[in-house]
Amino acid sequence: MRRLFNPMNLAALGFALLLLMAWQLLADAHLISPIFFPSPLRSLAVLQHRLADGSLWLPLAATGLRMTIGWLLASAIGVVLGAAIGSSRFARDLLDPTLEFIRPLPASAVIPVAILFLGLSNAMSVTVIAFGAIWPVLLASVHGFSSVPPELANVSQVLGFGRADFLRKVAFPSALPDIVAGLRVSLAIALILAVVTEMQSSLPGLGWDIFSAQRFYRSADLYAGLVILALLGFAANHLILLLEWRVLRWRNLRT
Amino acid sequence: MRRYLVGAMIPVAFLIGWEASTRTGLLTLESLSRPSDILMAGYAALRDGSLLLATMQTCETALLGLAIAAIAGIVIGAVLGLSSTAERIIGPTIEALRPIPAIAFMPLALMMFGFGVGLEASIVAYACVWPILIVTIAAVRAVEGRLLDVAAVLELPVWKKMAKIVLPAAFARINVGLRIAAAISLVVAVTVEIVLNPRGLGYRLILAEQSLEIGLMWAQLVWLCLLGYVLNLLLSRLGRGSTPVWRPL
Amino acid sequence: MQPLRKDLAAARPIGAEVPALSIRNLAVRFGARAILDAIDLDVREGEFLCIVGSSGSGKTTLLRVLAGLASLAEGKVLFEGAEISGPSRDRAIIFQDYSKALLPWRTVRGNVALSLEARNVPAKEQDAIIDALLAKMGLSPSRTQFPGQLSGGMQQRVQIARCLAQDPKLLLMDEPFGALDAMTRQTLQDEILQLAAEKQITTIFITHDLEEAIYLGDRVVVLGRSPATVVESVEIELPRPRNQLTTREDGRFLAYRHRLFELLAHECGPQSLQRGGQG
Repeated sequence: MRRLFNPMNLAALGFALLLLMAWQLLADAHLISPIFFPSPLRSLAVLQHRLADGSLWLPLAATGLRMTIGWLLASAIGVVLGAAIGSSRFARDLLDPTLEFIRPLPASAVIPVAILFLGLSNAMSVTVIAFGAIWPVLLASVHGFSSVPPELANVSQVLGFGRADFLRKVAFPSALPDIVAGLRVSLAIALILAVVTEMQSSLPGLGWDIFSAQRFYRSADLYAGLVILALLGFAANHLILLLEWRVLRWRNLRT
Repeated sequence: MRRYLVGAMIPVAFLIGWEASTRTGLLTLESLSRPSDILMAGYAALRDGSLLLATMQTCETALLGLAIAAIAGIVIGAVLGLSSTAERIIGPTIEALRPIPAIAFMPLALMMFGFGVGLEASIVAYACVWPILIVTIAAVRAVEGRLLDVAAVLELPVWKKMAKIVLPAAFARINVGLRIAAAISLVVAVTVEIVLNPRGLGYRLILAEQSLEIGLMWAQLVWLCLLGYVLNLLLSRLGRGSTPVWRPL
Repeated sequence: MQPLRKDLAAARPIGAEVPALSIRNLAVRFGARAILDAIDLDVREGEFLCIVGSSGSGKTTLLRVLAGLASLAEGKVLFEGAEISGPSRDRAIIFQDYSKALLPWRTVRGNVALSLEARNVPAKEQDAIIDALLAKMGLSPSRTQFPGQLSGGMQQRVQIARCLAQDPKLLLMDEPFGALDAMTRQTLQDEILQLAAEKQITTIFITHDLEEAIYLGDRVVVLGRSPATVVESVEIELPRPRNQLTTREDGRFLAYRHRLFELLAHECGPQSLQRGGQG
């Protein structure tokens, strides 16, 4: 507890509060346009109000759900493909050029194509999210699976493990630290793409919420949406950190 | 040689299969078009200059945003890197802002700037400033202590210390951050154009989709792939060649 | 001075004994470069054979061939009368870099269990076998720890335990104590001797440390410079059980050391360049 309240942390808090106060004062003195920069107090009030009447929970859940499903899809495909490419020279030669060509494409550029095939639907959103979120996981998996120490591979050979057992007992756990790092980045991208697809397609969610707030110049609602979005991103990131801590316990227990 | 042949297998098979199925009626033309039509649409767009114009628009906005992010990121990063007190005080506020995706600010930027370059460049700048900032802080912190001592003994004022000692020493690492940001800048610029801004490649892409010019849409996608690929190639070449003549001791 | 070569096949007492391991005219090449050449070697059942040689002389390559992890260009290797083809649980290999040969995400128990899983030992029986092995290697207190939490010596013990859990008929050890401090090395040397005496497993032990080789082995084989051949094979007739103090002070120990040192110095010296211009 004492660590939390040390002078530095208090100073940091003070700085943030100072900024907010300055914002509030500027708003009160009408030095900044209330349209673009509603005072923090008013934004807070709106936030509270919307949390209370539940109008923020639905968009939050919708965005969270899309993000999660798209991310899970991307992770599953990414790990499987990464395992194939990372452990088989042939698979790598076969898939690498094609993947290298598609990779630089901004995921959002796929949106028009997805709309063409899937309309303005959740399926479209999830597909775009998966397309964008797959790359960090894929690259991390390829790296992880191709850096299994040769001694471990030898041990597996001597013990007589077949390919399946090798992947399951040796290669995958060995690649896990890299994979989890990739999962974290993928989740961040999944959130971004969820918001983008919502803005593009008016699907109910935080993205659309923020977008329509702008339409009607309800800037306080806009800020409220941003705050909730930040919290969602923060929570998602921390969930992964927790997962990482549990799954990779053995890394933290160094002598 | 064998590697190239194997690698070409999927794209070639894909293209041939695609062309064949559309010609034999296995796949309908509506959303898919044909590789040959796409090629022709792409060629036409290049010829009439629309593709190149859009590319220039996207690139110049991305570059503008990147430049703003670079200046802000390096300056703030250097300050925070040199003064750990400043970093401890301002840091948490920055960390709180970081998880908000840049594109979430699009509506806000729209309110402030209206449609156009400002909207896009501001979002690009916001997105790009983070990798540059983080890398700069780390790079400045890693500057050899003795160099800073030299600066102190020479009684250099802050800005001279920055320009003559700190930044050159941190250059190589900051470069990495700049390259990451450059890749991000293109992606974000195109995203803003797709969702909002009636300008550049992203906008053209959405236009083609909405007016059902499917061949053109696919052609533009391929063009985007090429653009990104070339950009990445350039950046990695820059990365390899950017080890300066001097090396850290 | 011509390098000495002894006809090793003739040096063996001609009896009804089939050697556990038989290497005939083994040659290994890496591309165009010859690493090993014309290796002829017989290893008796239960023998503790030490191989010494200058660094880069192909000792590790030889071991890997015996483990079935490297392929030979010429010649053949017979284990228990049958030609080997690829790795097998019967021929366990212990690597020098123990940190890379253990599964860092499994506990000590889990690492040893890996071998039992490979042998399809049912889960219920695994615990008993593992606990016995851990007790023998002095690893019982570390049962639930991860390799990352253990010292170098302990990690190497875990590797040895895992190899023993394979129930091997041949133990191949590649400079296993090379990365450890002197005290730990001596402790482990005695432990390995105890194990070898108890289990009577044929063991091939690679080291660059002459004294270690003499201390441990029934026989020491010297490998020459690349492309390596067997330069000499020296029977070590020192009493067992060996003792760190008395054995190392024994006159014969010093004589063996002298001889082997001479041989190695000769092999590593500039004269070795004369041999076919290689090296």
